[in-house]
Amino acid sequence: MVEAPVMKDQAELYEKRLRTLNRVITTKAPIAQTPKEVVWTLNKAKLYRYIPVVPKEKRHPVPLLLVFALMNRPYILDLRPGHSFVEFMVKQGYDVYLLDWGVPGPEDKNLKFDDYTMEYMPRAIRKMKSISGSEEFSLLGWCIGAILTTIYASLRPDDGLRNLLLLTAPLDFSNKEDLTFARWTDEKYFDVDKVLAAFGNMPGEMIDYGAKALKPVENYISNYLKLWDNLDNPQVVEAWHSMNTWVTDNIPLAGGAFRQLIVDLYRNNRLMKGELMIAGQRVDLSKLRANLLTVIAKGDHITPPCQSEPLLSKISSKDKEAYHVPGGHIGIMAGSGAHKHTWPHIDNWLAKRSE
Amino acid sequence: MSEGQTTNSSKPYDPMEPFRGMRDAYLEAMAKTMTDAVNSDAYAQASGAMLDNTLSMSAPFREALEKTMLQVLQQLSLPSRQDIVGLAERFTNLEMRLDDMDASLDGLEGKVQKSILPLLQQLLMLTDTLTRLIKRMDAVEAKLGLQNARGTSQSALPAKAAKVQAASRVNAGTRKRSAVTKSAQPKKRTARKGAR
Repeated sequence: MVEAPVMKDQAELYEKRLRTLNRVITTKAPIAQTPKEVVWTLNKAKLYRYIPVVPKEKRHPVPLLLVFALMNRPYILDLRPGHSFVEFMVKQGYDVYLLDWGVPGPEDKNLKFDDYTMEYMPRAIRKMKSISGSEEFSLLGWCIGAILTTIYASLRPDDGLRNLLLLTAPLDFSNKEDLTFARWTDEKYFDVDKVLAAFGNMPGEMIDYGAKALKPVENYISNYLKLWDNLDNPQVVEAWHSMNTWVTDNIPLAGGAFRQLIVDLYRNNRLMKGELMIAGQRVDLSKLRANLLTVIAKGDHITPPCQSEPLLSKISSKDKEAYHVPGGHIGIMAGSGAHKHTWPHIDNWLAKRSE
Repeated sequence: MSEGQTTNSSKPYDPMEPFRGMRDAYLEAMAKTMTDAVNSDAYAQASGAMLDNTLSMSAPFREALEKTMLQVLQQLSLPSRQDIVGLAERFTNLEMRLDDMDASLDGLEGKVQKSILPLLQQLLMLTDTLTRLIKRMDAVEAKLGLQNARGTSQSALPAKAAKVQAASRVNAGTRKRSAVTKSAQPKKRTARKGAR
């Protein structure tokens, strides 16, 4: 008599859960909704300017350019309303620009760091300067974007770069014991030329597999169990949905850049040794003079802190800071605690240096 | 009954709840083991060998497919992937040249603006001065007109003022006469036209 309605309720509950599960796994969440306009394009790259919401007289005069990694979509910086770093910074009165590298095609297989740092970035920066009317600017680089911005800042120290912000920057590859990627891509086991001869560009699916295989149980099992356990919690479901939309939106990495990443950085650590050659010039980190804030994730398994910390002793900047945050590679900027820790710290640091 | 259950507890009843703790503990242990396993030379060697074998085995098929596809496309007079890639590269080069030209134009615009700005400022200052002068002249003219009006009502005027007044009268008379002759001229012309 009593058990029948309980069973019915349970069945309804499971049906509702399955519907939610089906929706979040098979559909894409609405992402990157902060209003923006395209102000410059080159090949697949686009420069976006976010529409300011603060009056010009109250805005920071120094514009901020965001540079994300080459093998992921940059909308992780503008994930969803209320949980968007871009939205937060626009509201704090910054003139925010985002450089989206786009999806490389077979014709881009020869693109290297040289092209990204010495052809694309200077052009995008020129456009940003001409639109903002400011000769000085700030750069924020995340993951591979941090490598690109560091190279740019070292090769063009007189280009008006005032502030450099690096997030989970993989710059030092000397500690091979702590770098699983370095182990996997060791020349004894991994033939980079053979892979690129077969694919041209490094396929996004392979990069995604590599990132997920670092923590297989967490990424392939626990992640879905966490969703299953919280299917009745709309906040967790929506956060999971938007993050899953980003994680499954993989893009390939240009062959030339992938070869440099493996051979020059992972295998030979040329950037830290001062041996990296970009467009015929040696990248000398001691020429980097901009104010520097490097944000290091304590629990980062993709870029462990040992990869970001040594930069501080190599550069000439007088104003430099390493900020350690609890969290992982993506979580420090897109996780639930990002708006309490990382974003306000970045804003406080940058606001003082953007007047 | 079921309503009572859902309202009394914060979460609805889940028959899997007792197993969850056990499951999480098991997963945690498994995660540690797996993380250690993938971070070993043995895994790197195995995954490298697997990838190498896959690429080696698929290479002949891939090459054969590429050759066949190329021949088919040639037979159909269609462009190959290489042709499209070549075109795309040329487009990118063109885009870069356009971007260079855009940069040069921006530079020129800036220079022109810089050189024109002082000239514009000077022009504005001159216009301002001219406007002030015209206003002053108008004021002087108005003053003179007022004095003239007073002069006609008063019989005894100073000799100098009387001379000025006379001169202005003469001028006014000349202007009037010339105006009359000018207005009369077209009439004459029309009269002549009518005579013809």
